[in-house]
Amino acid sequence: MLNIQTRQEGSASVVSIQGKVNFEVTAQLRDVIRDTVTTHQPKLLVINLEGVSFIDSSGLGLLVAARNSVDKSGGKLHLCTLPAPVKKTFDQTNLTNYFSIFATEQDALRGA
Amino acid sequence: MGKGVVLVVDDEAPIRDILGFYLKRAGYQVLMAGNGVQALDEMSRLQPDLIISDLRMPEMAGDELCKRVKGAPETQDTYFIIVSALDGTASRIGGLSIGADDMISKPFHAQEVLAKVDSAFRLIGMQKEIKRQNRELSAFQGRVEAELALAARLQMGLLPSLPGEIRGAKYTHRYLPAEGIGGDIYTIAPLEDGLIGLMIADVSGHGVSAALISAMVKTSFENHIRLSRDPLAWALGMNRDLCRSTLDDQFATAWLGCLNPTTHVLTHVVAGHPPPIRVRQGSRGGLHQPELLQGKGFMLGLDESLPFSLHEGQVLPGDRLVLYTDGLVEVEREDRSMLGDEGLLKLCAELPETADEAADFLVGRARELNAPVPFHDDVTLVVFDRFS
Repeated sequence: MLNIQTRQEGSASVVSIQGKVNFEVTAQLRDVIRDTVTTHQPKLLVINLEGVSFIDSSGLGLLVAARNSVDKSGGKLHLCTLPAPVKKTFDQTNLTNYFSIFATEQDALRGA
Repeated sequence: MGKGVVLVVDDEAPIRDILGFYLKRAGYQVLMAGNGVQALDEMSRLQPDLIISDLRMPEMAGDELCKRVKGAPETQDTYFIIVSALDGTASRIGGLSIGADDMISKPFHAQEVLAKVDSAFRLIGMQKEIKRQNRELSAFQGRVEAELALAARLQMGLLPSLPGEIRGAKYTHRYLPAEGIGGDIYTIAPLEDGLIGLMIADVSGHGVSAALISAMVKTSFENHIRLSRDPLAWALGMNRDLCRSTLDDQFATAWLGCLNPTTHVLTHVVAGHPPPIRVRQGSRGGLHQPELLQGKGFMLGLDESLPFSLHEGQVLPGDRLVLYTDGLVEVEREDRSMLGDEGLLKLCAELPETADEAADFLVGRARELNAPVPFHDDVTLVVFDRFS
């Protein structure tokens, strides 16, 4: 079960994800992120991963695609609150250095 | 051609005649029979779409006729209406339970019968259409499955043939694609100067598109090992190839290694892939301390400008390497735990002697520990043993 919530914070969009991000749910998540980016054209897209228990390679691919699409529209993607298992996956794939990652959602929104 | 063929079965001629009259006037082709035996005889000449049969008749009653019609594969789809003087719910249920499609109670109105026949023919028409579509779908599915089976055989052909032996080492693999064909690939290839090139990769997603990309990964690897002996150059080249030929969210995790059997030095690049496990002197089986090779890095196909880093290790004669894709260890069990790299590392502490036994042991134990949850991603395991 995947639970996705989106909201606007000024010119930023926040997408919060809860559950297991794997092959079965990436299509659903991709749609939400695409809709958010096309509707609001946010300067900053924050994806909050606090509730994610597991992310597989298709989930990582989705985040990379999200970064590319935000880049193209001149915006930024910030990830925040990575739980330990997700952080481990990011470390293993060096994605910690590919994404801008923040400890809290406030930090991610501030871009600090 | 009329609207369809109706067989009227009744031992009373006046009833047959009146039903026949109305049905013919409505455009149906009508066959007549005085009892079940005659009805079967008529049916051997022309197969009706619908039968209206009286229940009580000499020689063969309506219920017996219904059982025979519904019991034979070639006639079971014939719509069967039982006409019965025994009114009430009990006889209705009785008639339907012997397989009749509908009931009419006597005395009846010819118009009522006609209305039922018309509605039955609408149903028959729909059923025929559904069956036709079903046949088309089944045929289509059959073609797709045959194509996939062929693709799966071709993909198996992309893997090294077993038993594998190369420059003082032997190896084996277990390859379990999630959907007949998968996105995992590995290869072990001789290089110039007696070196050995090793590659294992896992393309994001599974199924046909992942399988196509996995073939591309292998081709790309084989191109780059001809140009250089440096896994770092391979990784950069393969990353460039994949970035240019895949969609935004498609990529491959990979581990690339170059083993020098003379100096025992292994140079390798970890590209978002679980690093292999090295078991010192593990090629004879028994109790050992396995370790994960060190290193990390981006997966291939994300971004052309990403850097990779080269790591160096040692693989001595008698050492065993275990290469795998995450499908082996990332199965979420009922208690939400996973085997994980650490779990696999523990299993590698005591492996059987031969590479084949070790491979079967690891896949078997992973399966047991996950039971009843099956593997749901592509699973590849390679056991590579250097001779002592």
